[in-house]
Amino acid sequence: MLSDFGSILLFMIAGVLFVAIALFVSKLVRPHRPNADKLSTYECGEEPIGDARIQFNNRFYIIGLMFLIFEVEILLLFPWAMVFQDLGWYAFSAMFVFVFLIFIGFIYELGKGHLKWDLPSPAVPEYVEGVGVVERDIRTEDDEFESDGGLTFK
Amino acid sequence: MSEHVLNSIGLFVPEIILVASLCIIIVADLLLKKRTHAGGWILLASLVLCFFAFSAQSGINTSAFFAMIAVDPFSVFFKVILVISGIFIVLFSMQNKELIPYKNRIGEYYMLIAGMMLGMFLMVSSTNLLMMYLAFEMTSICSYVLVGFTKKSIRSAESSIKYIIYGSVSSGIMIYGMSLIYGMSGSLNIFEIGAALSGLESAPIFSMAVLMITAGIGFKIALVPFHFWAPDVYEGAPMAITALLAVTSKIAAVAMLIRLFRVSFTGVDATGMMAIIPEGIRWDMMLAVMAAAAMILGNLAALWQDNIKRMLAYSSIAHAGYIIMGVVVLTDQGISAVMLYAFMYLFMNLGTFYMAMLYANKFSTESIEGYKGIGYRAPFTAVALTIFLVSLTGLPPTAGFIAKLYIFGAAINAGWIWLVLVAGVMTIVSLFYYIRVARNMFLYKPEGETEPVRFDNFTTAIVLLLLTPVLVLGVYFTPVLEFIKHSLVMFGVQ
Repeated sequence: MLSDFGSILLFMIAGVLFVAIALFVSKLVRPHRPNADKLSTYECGEEPIGDARIQFNNRFYIIGLMFLIFEVEILLLFPWAMVFQDLGWYAFSAMFVFVFLIFIGFIYELGKGHLKWDLPSPAVPEYVEGVGVVERDIRTEDDEFESDGGLTFK
Repeated sequence: MSEHVLNSIGLFVPEIILVASLCIIIVADLLLKKRTHAGGWILLASLVLCFFAFSAQSGINTSAFFAMIAVDPFSVFFKVILVISGIFIVLFSMQNKELIPYKNRIGEYYMLIAGMMLGMFLMVSSTNLLMMYLAFEMTSICSYVLVGFTKKSIRSAESSIKYIIYGSVSSGIMIYGMSLIYGMSGSLNIFEIGAALSGLESAPIFSMAVLMITAGIGFKIALVPFHFWAPDVYEGAPMAITALLAVTSKIAAVAMLIRLFRVSFTGVDATGMMAIIPEGIRWDMMLAVMAAAAMILGNLAALWQDNIKRMLAYSSIAHAGYIIMGVVVLTDQGISAVMLYAFMYLFMNLGTFYMAMLYANKFSTESIEGYKGIGYRAPFTAVALTIFLVSLTGLPPTAGFIAKLYIFGAAINAGWIWLVLVAGVMTIVSLFYYIRVARNMFLYKPEGETEPVRFDNFTTAIVLLLLTPVLVLGVYFTPVLEFIKHSLVMFGVQ
């Protein structure tokens, strides 16, 4: 007899086989006429430019994280909205606490200026007598402290 | 259902206080920009409130939130210890000079400490494998950020990265072990796991699962062979956070280990004695070997250290070994010895870290060689540090002696003679490096500046608060023993 783990193993094997067979059969049936346009990387219809592995502004992570949190909030709010009339104040207070905690986090992000989308100031190269070319950060000390919340750009 | 939740919320008051204080700290951080340590005072107030809320919970022995957490004397005992150490950590943080360049972000610092305290409260009380893992991760993630809080210091950033990588690997191993246990027992509730395992034959995969879970928890306790992160992380972290890692999170992990192993992997055999389930698994031997290795490696490696934080890191590895000795013996006597040890360890280790922090602030040295002559310049604190170190060694008449005495007694009663021999020999070894600090302070004349150093009243008060229990509990410890005797009740365990 199969144990519970045995059926999971069967499921995994079947999954691998399914993909392998589908690919193999389509290779047999499909026409094979490659051209340059077909072989290029698909990027939403745009012409692909350069490498995907570039440095990008790390404030995208903050935006991404916040997007994720509010996405989850919406996901939870939909089923809650369906049943909240049956469950009454209990469901209301539970969701209130949840939304309140996220709200506090949002206020914090706003207050710390993580959503300000001004460009990082450039480091201007400058020639100093006897030292050579130095990159000087044109921001003042105060600016640095203001943006200093996990987001310092050089 | 909502009635059960309401009852559970009634039992969850201390944690709710902490969550509320977390929110208030966030808002205060935004509104009170001028007051640097506003978050610290709010956290301090909420921890004191938590202390009273926990006192009100004494004697309650029940389960809450659909058997996710247990509110029992055992968890309340450990939560009281955690709260006391949390209060001291906040007081330390307010004086820590390493944090001054980061005063714009200090609100985040206290917020993370609040989150870590919440995680540790849940760690000691959870009775479900998933809840345990979540609480464990909550503690870990906050501590990763806290270790790297002084991010402009290269040492701090390096230690934070090391801590994250090692920590996430070990917690991954732990959740794999938990999934194996779940596969074999079909439940995540630790009581149901215990019941399911008592009927099972032993199998190699079970030993693997227990070893994996021990790897995760042992990482937090800094037990050999999962200790390798400790020296680097302790050295790089801000001093208050080092104390938090060495005392608070270690004690929380020990409590979680005891609850899991006592409830799930321990049963009662035909003669009514406590026995390991399923039969044939020797996790007690495994823990004993780890404890012996921790004592040997920790104490021997500490001999060569010059940085006081690294020395204390190895000493805390050694102390993890002593604490685990009490878990190994598998009796109530052993568990009560662990609880006593945790209580004493709290004061003596926090005291040592506080002194190290004060000296780093005043003399800007973390090197033991740099302590030469401090005994002549700051006699009061030097004597206090010596007493803390003597207590860590385990010499009478200090609290450390009583703690070691009870641990050794429990181990001898259970027949672990070789383990006690190792521990005894290693205690003598530890005398060398602890006393070396005192020797440097008192037997050398100060080099360079010689004028006496004054500390303010706030500092003196904290030193006295830490010093008094270490001295008093060394001779009069009956109240603590009584408290432990009443706290030795775990929910669902006879």
